[in-house]
Amino acid sequence: MERLLVGLELHQQLASSTKLFCACPTVKTEEFPGKFERRLRPAQSETGHLDPAAVFEFAKGRSNLYFWNPESSCLVEADEEPPHPLSREALRDSLLIAATLGSHLMGEVHVMRKIVIDGSNTTGFQRTAVVGLGGSFDVDGVRVGVQTVTLEEDAARILGEDDASRHWGLDRLGVPLVEIALEPVDGDPDLVGRVALHLGRVLRSTGKAARGLGTIRQDMNVSLGGGKVVEVKGVQKLNLLPKVVEYERRRQSMLRRVAEELQGKGARRVACVHADVTGVLRGSASPVVSKLLSGGAKAVCIAATGLGGLLGWEPEPGVRLGKELAEVARANGVGGVIHSDEFEKQGIQPVEEAAIRRAVGCGSEDALVIVAGRADAVDRVVPLLADRLGACVDGVPAETRAPTDGGETRYMRPRAGSQRMYPETDVPDITVTEAEEAEISREAPEDWRSRVGRLEREWSLSRDLALKLYDADEIERFEELARRLEIEASFIASVFVDLPARLSREGVAESGYSHSALAQALEAVASGVVAKEAVPDVLKAAWEKGMTVEQAAGALGLERIDEVHLAGILDGIVSRQAALIREKGDAAFSPLMGEAMKELRGKADGALIARLLREKIAGFSRAPD
Amino acid sequence: MGDLSGYKGAALRLLEGAGAAVGDVLEVRTAWGAVTGTLVPRYLYGDGEHVVLKLKSGYNVGLSLEDISEVRVSAKGEKPSFSPPPPPESPEGLPRVLVIGTGGTIASRIDYRTGAVRPAVTSDELRSLVPELSQVARVDPEIMFDIMSENIAPSHWTKLARRVARAVGEEVDGVVITHGTDTLGYTAAALSFALAGVPIPVVLVGAQRSPDRPSSDAPLNLIAAVSVAATANFSGVYVAMHLNESDDRIAIHRGTRVRKNHTSRRDAFESVDVPLAAVWGRGGLEHVAEGLPPRGREFEPSVRFDEGAALLKFYPSMPGALVRAARRSGAKVIIMEGTGLGHVSEEVAKELKSFIRSGGMACMTSQCIRGRTDLSVYDTGRDLIHMGVLQLGDMLPETALAKAMWVLGTGARGEKARKLMAEDLAGETTARTFPG
Repeated sequence: MERLLVGLELHQQLASSTKLFCACPTVKTEEFPGKFERRLRPAQSETGHLDPAAVFEFAKGRSNLYFWNPESSCLVEADEEPPHPLSREALRDSLLIAATLGSHLMGEVHVMRKIVIDGSNTTGFQRTAVVGLGGSFDVDGVRVGVQTVTLEEDAARILGEDDASRHWGLDRLGVPLVEIALEPVDGDPDLVGRVALHLGRVLRSTGKAARGLGTIRQDMNVSLGGGKVVEVKGVQKLNLLPKVVEYERRRQSMLRRVAEELQGKGARRVACVHADVTGVLRGSASPVVSKLLSGGAKAVCIAATGLGGLLGWEPEPGVRLGKELAEVARANGVGGVIHSDEFEKQGIQPVEEAAIRRAVGCGSEDALVIVAGRADAVDRVVPLLADRLGACVDGVPAETRAPTDGGETRYMRPRAGSQRMYPETDVPDITVTEAEEAEISREAPEDWRSRVGRLEREWSLSRDLALKLYDADEIERFEELARRLEIEASFIASVFVDLPARLSREGVAESGYSHSALAQALEAVASGVVAKEAVPDVLKAAWEKGMTVEQAAGALGLERIDEVHLAGILDGIVSRQAALIREKGDAAFSPLMGEAMKELRGKADGALIARLLREKIAGFSRAPD
Repeated sequence: MGDLSGYKGAALRLLEGAGAAVGDVLEVRTAWGAVTGTLVPRYLYGDGEHVVLKLKSGYNVGLSLEDISEVRVSAKGEKPSFSPPPPPESPEGLPRVLVIGTGGTIASRIDYRTGAVRPAVTSDELRSLVPELSQVARVDPEIMFDIMSENIAPSHWTKLARRVARAVGEEVDGVVITHGTDTLGYTAAALSFALAGVPIPVVLVGAQRSPDRPSSDAPLNLIAAVSVAATANFSGVYVAMHLNESDDRIAIHRGTRVRKNHTSRRDAFESVDVPLAAVWGRGGLEHVAEGLPPRGREFEPSVRFDEGAALLKFYPSMPGALVRAARRSGAKVIIMEGTGLGHVSEEVAKELKSFIRSGGMACMTSQCIRGRTDLSVYDTGRDLIHMGVLQLGDMLPETALAKAMWVLGTGARGEKARKLMAEDLAGETTARTFPG
């Protein structure tokens, strides 16, 4: 099997107090009182070349609507004021992260403009600077090299889009983030997942990483057998990484096999011709076609030599060339693509196919691709698809793709060229002082593995719980409560790390979550007011209804009952079930325990109930009739 | 010796020793590993302790000399050749517009090797960078100066006015002048007087964001300026800049009533106390004020300026000596920016009186920017009138300065000059001020 290489790029927001190039706070905004509209255009390089990704975005002709709120952005984010000097706080934080990864710190930091004209930056570029070069770390015996550590501004947050424009929130624009670009590792999906997890933990160990949804995301550069590099942008969930790697392996392998088939036929390039087939298809028996052609749409058919049968070919599960073409069309605003390998399925009759072939003037061996939609969009997409078909013989095209929720990837745009980086002349170069370097080396954080190990030993926690506490960044609060309360530390830990996730799965809104309620609940357990078992229900009620823990326990009738009261209830059960005890003796325990738990769940400790019940059954058996 | 621009001190010696030049690919050995990259120029104020390389990824990094053990040139730099995509075809019969460059870049391309920005100089380059222009007009670019707008002087105004006057005879449908924004308002006012009665539209245009960035306001401002110069049915001198922060509408301001009122916003330029002359949208002119002069007027340019005018801003405790200094430096006219309705301290008033007595002309404008002067309301003002200070009403201080230089340039002195200063020649002053 050919070697799959995966280069990870991890982007982590920093927990800095201000944005990277202005004094705005780094807060998320819900309402945006102001908006404005912009259009970005590609800037030309010295050789006259335009960045392919930039041209692609400009050709779509869409404008960008930016929404802003003075609580989170100012004229700098609106690109109405030059950037202020780079935040020294963020620079120091990024240098600490670079040092932790063993990178060499740059003596002089140069801020660059990286052209990005999808609208996610009002300027049309992202400001970014290398702060560290090189470095490495070890994941389960595998050495992983660090290429660069860069400090950059985060992009605007996408709020939505329509045919005419993309909508962006400016609150996230300018938030400092570090990008860590790793050297490629073997594309074992499991290893890639572990590398990302490790790196995330290293970042957390510095105490400089921001927390919360969307504060960390990964890009991946994936290539198969020395082929072109495909960039997958913005994988937010760690557990998707292995799936994405595996999908890309299948997809790229399919593209290579298609190329091999073509090369086997002696093809150098797939020749394409196309013709307008709107008239031919009008009145088509296919409901799909007639739907696509309603409302004055246009249909063009491309014929590709030698590709017959290859568009619908699925050499690996879930990957087909036809699907690739449809993705390119969709990214350009055309939803209607039908190819000849699926004509029958889409209800296109052989007689119609023959008419199409006559219109295009091609043989029966050629593959056909019908593109239907708004005339201007179709005209834009046809040459793109023809190019793509033409290049099939070369294997995997270099492009930028986005992950889906299910761990597949979708075409986004051509890959940006290297000619898209130039100096940010509005920001002076920054010399990192020796004093700063010295301070950074003093601040070197404890290795996360040793921290987790310490947690395991000191509190007798399982490795899993200790890791979860570390990942949830709850160690400090956990240790404070574990020291103060007379409850088993593992119980406290599980309440911290498992309970919020469990309640979230049960549909409890995260907005109600509060640490103080969590601490109150544990305090109530420690003081005997609430039983351990009742903690989930009590907290759920507290979060859902905005009550205190005591109110919630009261409302649910889940205040812990004392032992005397408990004994009374158990006596009642025993006397009700006297016949059963007589009949089964000790074996009556199970059904009785079930009955007791029904009545007492959450009000008393299960182990205590069981002990008392056994005593009662034994006592009853011994008692004279 | 190759080009090592910006390098100095120990860094310069190291690079010279290695025979390196900007644009070369260098392999630099350091204590922590080898770094390969293209040598890029150093900025003027950079120290002599770092060498800046552009890595293959495009990033620039500054390497400390103390880390560097060896520099080796691994490939000599090649000068990239410029081959822009072909500009789109222009339809036949489009109007002709002369686009004069004065130094602010109209449109530019970037040297990704070094980061330098170069202006587009030919018509093809311009149309290749802003393809929309091809649909609007036949554009003839002409670079007249290459200077920052703060270095523009009355002598440049004269050259510009002469060139525009000549263009009128060359069957040009309109003229666009690209100009740095800092003194754009002064030049617009000056040309309004020098070219009073010009029979075609003359549109000055600038950009608040440089054209080397994708978000620049330059392309849209330029498209609007060329479109107005080519097709508007009015004539005169105007300024075209963004109406607001969005890339959708361009404000067309009267040349004598426009002022830069913000340091950095796209809509920094405002028409003061008068409505906009016109608003341009992507479909063309959307709104045109009434009473603008039509095309094809009689035209007799008077293009000379005399620098013997000064603009002084009054402030509390301003020494009278500053007025004397202006006079000593050759000022025949002093435009005062007084407080409120047009007031200055007794000390400054005394100096103005002596300046007038010695034959100078003193004019009063207001530092309030909006509203008109009125020297009849308070005693201080009446005193100024009495001593012969000419109040200029709602004329902008900067416009008044340009006008004074132009008036002096016509050779007018004394009562004649005073009359010219007070009269409305190019819409610089109006008798009525409106709310809003």
